[in-house]
Amino acid sequence: MLKSVKMVTHNGTVSFPEEIKEAFLETGGLDFRLRPYASAEEIWDFMTREAPVRFPYYYTSSPYTAAVYKFPDYVECLWTLKFHYMLMSYRDRFLAAHEKGIPIVFIQGGQGMEPYHAARCIALRPFSVMLWGGSVSAKEGISLREKAVSDMQIEEQGRREISPESCHLINGHQWIKQGFVPVSLIAPYLCTRCSDTPYLAESHRSSDRKTPVLMVDFPVNSQPDQDWPVEYIAESLHRLVDKLAEAGGRKPTDEELRQSIKLMNQGRKYVRDYVEVWRSAPLIPSYSNDFGWLSRFSGEYFGEPEAGVQLARQAYAEVKERIDRGIKGIEVSEDPVRLFICGSCYTPQADRIDRAGGAVVGYDDFWNRATIDVSEEGDPYVNLARAMLAWPYERPTVERARWTVEQIIKSRANGLIFAYHWGCQLQSAVSRMIAEIVKKETGIPILYLELDQLGKTQTVEQSENRIESFIEMLSVNKK
Amino acid sequence: MLSYLAKIKQAVESRPAELAKAREKGAKVVGYFCSYVPEEIIHALRLIPVRLEYGGDEHLVDIGGRYVSKNNCVFIREAVGMFAEKKDPFVRNSDKVAVATTCLQIYRLAELVNHFFQVPTAILVVPRSFYYPEGRKFFQKEMGNFARELETFSGKKLDAGALRDSIELYKNIRQTLREIYKYQAKDPAIIDWRDVFQVIHAGFYLDREYYLSLLKYLLAELMEEEKKVQAGEVDALEEKPRILLAGSIIARGDNKIINMIDRMGGRIVADDLCTGQRFFAGLEVKDYSLEGLADAYLDKVPCASLPYPFPLETDRRLANLSQLIDECRAEGMIYHTLRYCDPFTFKANETKQFFKDKVAFMEIHTEYAPSDEGAIMTRVEAFMELIFNLRASKKVLVK
Repeated sequence: MLKSVKMVTHNGTVSFPEEIKEAFLETGGLDFRLRPYASAEEIWDFMTREAPVRFPYYYTSSPYTAAVYKFPDYVECLWTLKFHYMLMSYRDRFLAAHEKGIPIVFIQGGQGMEPYHAARCIALRPFSVMLWGGSVSAKEGISLREKAVSDMQIEEQGRREISPESCHLINGHQWIKQGFVPVSLIAPYLCTRCSDTPYLAESHRSSDRKTPVLMVDFPVNSQPDQDWPVEYIAESLHRLVDKLAEAGGRKPTDEELRQSIKLMNQGRKYVRDYVEVWRSAPLIPSYSNDFGWLSRFSGEYFGEPEAGVQLARQAYAEVKERIDRGIKGIEVSEDPVRLFICGSCYTPQADRIDRAGGAVVGYDDFWNRATIDVSEEGDPYVNLARAMLAWPYERPTVERARWTVEQIIKSRANGLIFAYHWGCQLQSAVSRMIAEIVKKETGIPILYLELDQLGKTQTVEQSENRIESFIEMLSVNKK
Repeated sequence: MLSYLAKIKQAVESRPAELAKAREKGAKVVGYFCSYVPEEIIHALRLIPVRLEYGGDEHLVDIGGRYVSKNNCVFIREAVGMFAEKKDPFVRNSDKVAVATTCLQIYRLAELVNHFFQVPTAILVVPRSFYYPEGRKFFQKEMGNFARELETFSGKKLDAGALRDSIELYKNIRQTLREIYKYQAKDPAIIDWRDVFQVIHAGFYLDREYYLSLLKYLLAELMEEEKKVQAGEVDALEEKPRILLAGSIIARGDNKIINMIDRMGGRIVADDLCTGQRFFAGLEVKDYSLEGLADAYLDKVPCASLPYPFPLETDRRLANLSQLIDECRAEGMIYHTLRYCDPFTFKANETKQFFKDKVAFMEIHTEYAPSDEGAIMTRVEAFMELIFNLRASKKVLVK
């Protein structure tokens, strides 16, 4: 689809315009591993009839709707409907699969999924668990405000039990502890992006449910060409798949693991192609939200890599066509202030960035893993270990900063936003160091944002004010 | 009178000048953070190990916060501030800084001081899966890598004989400290816990051979004093509420909680601090090799920074606390947590629940600022009253 079609707004509720239906149906459906093929008709029906009733807070026309599930004012790319479909329907699929014995495993945000996928488990990161819990515990059919209150209540419970210094990730762990999300195993990689994950995972040992925990350690400061950290991680991954099998998955053969690696590599390639065309395009082709979702999508695929890779392929094809035809995003400026965003777990209200004259052209979180493929030949465990140690975000900070500089140059960013949440110590600790290196190498201005809005609905105004001012300042510099 | 307490204190005061002189003659000093850094290797390479730890200075915290963020552990912020200001004599006299990555904020500290202040660093990666064979194998090799890095720095090869001698020296130091430590919990007390804490700290700075000799003299003095107490020649210290001090690091200069307990009439009889008892708790080197050293450090009483996802009953840190409560007859645990010290803060409630039938418990969450002293004083005072009341109620029950 090469035009932008306005969403229909009526009484504070948005809906998808009928006008795009035909074009959408032509894009085909999605193959899910855990359920039969979902046709385009089925997806359309869900998004236009079922979801507005079950999840009205998604369809609320409000500036406070969290960026990750906010529909923009116009539909520009049809793949985004499928993205939202995956987001809103995964709980149904996973519950059905779980009832058939497929275990749900709680993982970390910034890690790989290959072992879990190969072991036929559903791997969910904290954000997905938080979304699930938020819609289950507070019941479907709730308003935006009711969802916000429900989220804050669970956070309060978590912080009382553990610590008020925990970041908002504590919500995901609380949903599990209270039984709202049927997780069989907590098995994250202990990447350096998150200071809270190890201790929040550990805290399950004293919960009533005592969900089993296995942590795959990430040895910091290590290099992919050092044998002993590679061996350590590889052996830990072997232990992981044994534990996944014990939890109800199945122990994959090496070839099955290689197949998962191949699939994820495909997804990473589509995401890389997407990001490359986006950031080198003369005109920004659509919303910054679209870019944000896709550039970080290969981090999880909402637990369904098969469908996720198909979606990434479609997204790349759509955005390439728009760029080849010189189509600009309808609410994006001709010459926007280009922003690169650093920091874990942060999704800006990108529609406001677009309207303020900016555009997001890069992230380091999640995206960095899409830049590293896993070798498909030889020992898959060793290959996964080497790839993990190569993730730019997890490198020693000087190396991470150099990679960030490269990305900023490639994306022609005019400014950097380094954002971190309350309780996020490992990102906040290096924010100034990375910013100093970036500033020295590129000269671009930097905005630090300290937030407490992960997954929250009505706390974004302060950060958005600052970003809008930053964009104004940068646009003056550009002139 | 324990004359060797004064001698140890004097020795610490003159140590910075000694280090400066030694460096003028070509010696190299390795300042380090974290009790998982194996001093034995540093010592065996004829480098001078000095543990860098300082707390309680609001000014340094403020300075450090300009390089790190206010969201970070106050100990780390102060440490960064120390390097920024370069007034601390031990920081000034460190030629290299070694860290163990037990706590990842300490890893970040190493990265920051290397970047902002060009401090050469050496990193020893501690496996968080320390309870699995692959973690042990990793740490053995990591220890070898760490040793090689220090060899390059020292310009010497690590000699097996020198390593053996160093391991033996530190074994003796730890054993003597264990003996000394017992005296501060005795009834009547021969030495105050605070003095023992200072003695342990002295071992972070002094020449280690000289330190061992001072410890042995002190131990001999303690044994003499004990005889006098038993003979009724020395007045016993007054019996106060017996407190176990646990939790986040209490570094040199951070006296707030210790002073408060003292002021409110409590007596610290045990601790599980990494700058106190846990520095030597459970650390037994059986094999005098790098692999043996790695095993010993992984097998010691673990730090809360290393997550342990197994049942609480199998947690050796909690077992150590339990043993301390029994051996030192602690009546209350004051669990001290620093602002943004997640490893200890996140476990406060869990620790409280685990010990709820064994000992009275209170968490004090604080940072390096005097603004909360009033609030802490009220809490500590109330805690002492609670312990007195519990004592009284036990006597009633016994009757």
